[in-house]
Amino acid sequence: MSEQLPAPGFDAQSYERPNQGWICGHAGEGKPCRLGPDHRGRCCATAECTPVLEIKPGETKGRWRCTRSGGVCESGPRPDGSCCRPIARCSPVPTLRTRRGQLTRAVVAATVALLLIGLGGSWRGTFINSGALSTPHSSAAFALLHSGTNQANQTCTACHPAGARGPSDLVATAWAATPGPFQLGQLARARPGEPTALDASCQKCHPNHRLHQPSVVRDLSCSFCHAEHRGTGPMAAPTDAHCTICHGDAGVMAAAAIKGASLPPASESALAAGSMPSSALKRTETATDSRTATGFTQVIHSFAQDHPEFRVHTDKLVDPDTLKFNHARHLTSETIPQLPGGRKLDCNSCHQPDVAGSYFRRINFERHCQVCHSLQFDPETPALTLPHGNPALVSAFLHSLPRQYADLAARSGITRTAEQNQFAQEKLQRWQTRVATGETFEQRVFFSTATTGPSVQVGSVIGATHPPYPGCAYCHEVQAGAQGQPEITKPILLDRWLVHGAFNHAKHSGVACLKCHSAATSQATADVILPTKDSCVTCHSPRGGVVDSCATCHGYHRKDTK
Amino acid sequence: MNRFRRQFFLGSFLLLVASVLAIMIHCRWSRQLPHYAYLTGWVLLVAMFLLALYNARKRLPFLPLGHSETWAQLHIYAGFFTVVLFLIHLNFRLPTGWFEGTLAWLYALVTGSGIAGLLLSRVLPRRLATRGGEVIYEKIPALRHALRETAEALALGGETPSPTIAEFYVRQLSGFLAGPRNFWPHLLDSRRPLNALLSELEDLRRFLNESEQATLDKLTQVVRQKDGLDYHHALQTTLKLWLFVHLPLTYSLMICSVLHVVLVFAFAGGAR
Repeated sequence: MSEQLPAPGFDAQSYERPNQGWICGHAGEGKPCRLGPDHRGRCCATAECTPVLEIKPGETKGRWRCTRSGGVCESGPRPDGSCCRPIARCSPVPTLRTRRGQLTRAVVAATVALLLIGLGGSWRGTFINSGALSTPHSSAAFALLHSGTNQANQTCTACHPAGARGPSDLVATAWAATPGPFQLGQLARARPGEPTALDASCQKCHPNHRLHQPSVVRDLSCSFCHAEHRGTGPMAAPTDAHCTICHGDAGVMAAAAIKGASLPPASESALAAGSMPSSALKRTETATDSRTATGFTQVIHSFAQDHPEFRVHTDKLVDPDTLKFNHARHLTSETIPQLPGGRKLDCNSCHQPDVAGSYFRRINFERHCQVCHSLQFDPETPALTLPHGNPALVSAFLHSLPRQYADLAARSGITRTAEQNQFAQEKLQRWQTRVATGETFEQRVFFSTATTGPSVQVGSVIGATHPPYPGCAYCHEVQAGAQGQPEITKPILLDRWLVHGAFNHAKHSGVACLKCHSAATSQATADVILPTKDSCVTCHSPRGGVVDSCATCHGYHRKDTK
Repeated sequence: MNRFRRQFFLGSFLLLVASVLAIMIHCRWSRQLPHYAYLTGWVLLVAMFLLALYNARKRLPFLPLGHSETWAQLHIYAGFFTVVLFLIHLNFRLPTGWFEGTLAWLYALVTGSGIAGLLLSRVLPRRLATRGGEVIYEKIPALRHALRETAEALALGGETPSPTIAEFYVRQLSGFLAGPRNFWPHLLDSRRPLNALLSELEDLRRFLNESEQATLDKLTQVVRQKDGLDYHHALQTTLKLWLFVHLPLTYSLMICSVLHVVLVFAFAGGAR
């Protein structure tokens, strides 16, 4: 196939080397001059020779002699000494290498120019921003807060002192950074979470930020957990890696335990105060809201792996409530009647979610109990019921029973006073056939737990009449006071048990209550029917497939700080 | 196993080992070292500077810095390794900012053009060798000029030029011989333009006498030589042109990388 190409016609003397910057403009015609262009691309062609002036002895002017290498030309040099055969000049052509160099220089210049424009213009912040800011740090309120430090309507300076500096100052700032660009040893040896210069910027808006437990051995940098410039919306939640950097380190936990042991109790209670909603604080008095002797210093790597069992179970806590309540009976007993509308009594009948749906509203007698436990005491007069909530009121009610019957008559439509009094007398006479004395009846109201009567059923919403009221002591702890007066222990209804972890019941609405809470078998009020950790791990684990990060339940910051 | 294959397998093996090691180090230390991104950034930057040194090595052939071929091999495999380093530095995420996005795009273009150049330098020389002949790229214009003069002498010169051949030369061949032609068909290894021209030349034969047919044969030979020259021009130009992307963008990338280092240290203040 080589015969399809012309002979190369290699000429060692006129060989154009690939690293030459320029080639003779006549090379394309196969007639390049021997000298060729110079390194700047200028044609060096002058004439075929450089005449030499020869002055013989006795001559004053001398003669110009032709020095052409191919032989002396016919015309010879001109009188002024120039050659009479000038070589045709050409326009040297740049080689590909030269063109590439020109393009490279142009691209470099364009790059530097664009970078200077980007760094110096009003869009500097947008240009060098490594990613969108989170919503709080990109809001108009944030910009307004830092309007004094703004540069070109950008808030970089609010966090980065370098934001207001020019290109040369940027280099100086980078050089002065800690660790600096070339302090590779420090860069490699740095411990995770060490405070940085940026933390001072965070503290400007978040002063006195109390980070975590008072027993932490060292404070962590804000940016260790809160990575900014990662997109709009709230800042990303810390990952388990951020928590286990301390909680997964036995040495750190041991040091924290030692430090925690030396802390005054005040700081512990402050700690507990920061760990739960204020609404729960007032009412939560169990041991779960206080630190253990060693603090929360058990080494934990993951929830499923080595998170300790909930303390309500390990400490075998009991519900301190004095109210007598049997979950199992209310959920499974055959004698429990249906609610109005034919609904069956279930968990949701009493445990109704709060506005957020995370937790439940407190159980309330009027809202949740009275529909069945109506406190009616006269089977013949079901409309008349005892008041609830105050023993003194109950006692006063009983002492004014004639008046109560008369008022009932008035409410029933009997308008004349004489007829109201007659109605009350008739009721009292029939009532007195059932009770010995008023005192006996009052004692029975407060202290009796008997369920005997027309019906053994304690509560009902069906039938013509409500069953009789068995007595306060049926549900409450009732004791006789010094004067023999009844004293009812106020029930202690705890809003939350696991106060160090958040929980959202709404997110668990797809799971049956009884799947986690053993209410169907709990007969005593003292039972704490919270699920065990293993119950949670069933779903919240890598095997269960549901998120099991620390931040799912726990927060890092103390709530009493900004 | 020849030397090239031995080099290929050894280089690929070392690249694989280095990449696996780098990823293992990433998995082990990326969460342990708070300034991990800084460290990987420095490693990547140094690697990129070493890659860029290959160009400097080519400019200093007189220095005893090892064979250029060895440098080329190192450049190729180290270039592939920087892809792993680049992904590790980015923590296998896409950059989001304008500047960092530009930096990433520049890196992708430099790497992409480098890979394209590698493939071209593996494929095109083989095709040139298959086609045959050796032509110095810088000599092509002169050779083309000589062919044109030869063709003109055949078609228009002589004592009794053939009007048929002269007319065909002016109409078809003068343009074909004036400069490089059929760049893309040659690059795609298509002979359709040549065959079309040869077919037209063959069609001309029936209108020619014996001496004119002899001239036509010579013209046909010139056309084939010109086509071979164009083939070499197209492929050799392509072999050189990819550097027009690779080199300028490399310098641009290096400048942006240095600025990236300055911005990171000036703005991050030691934060991750």
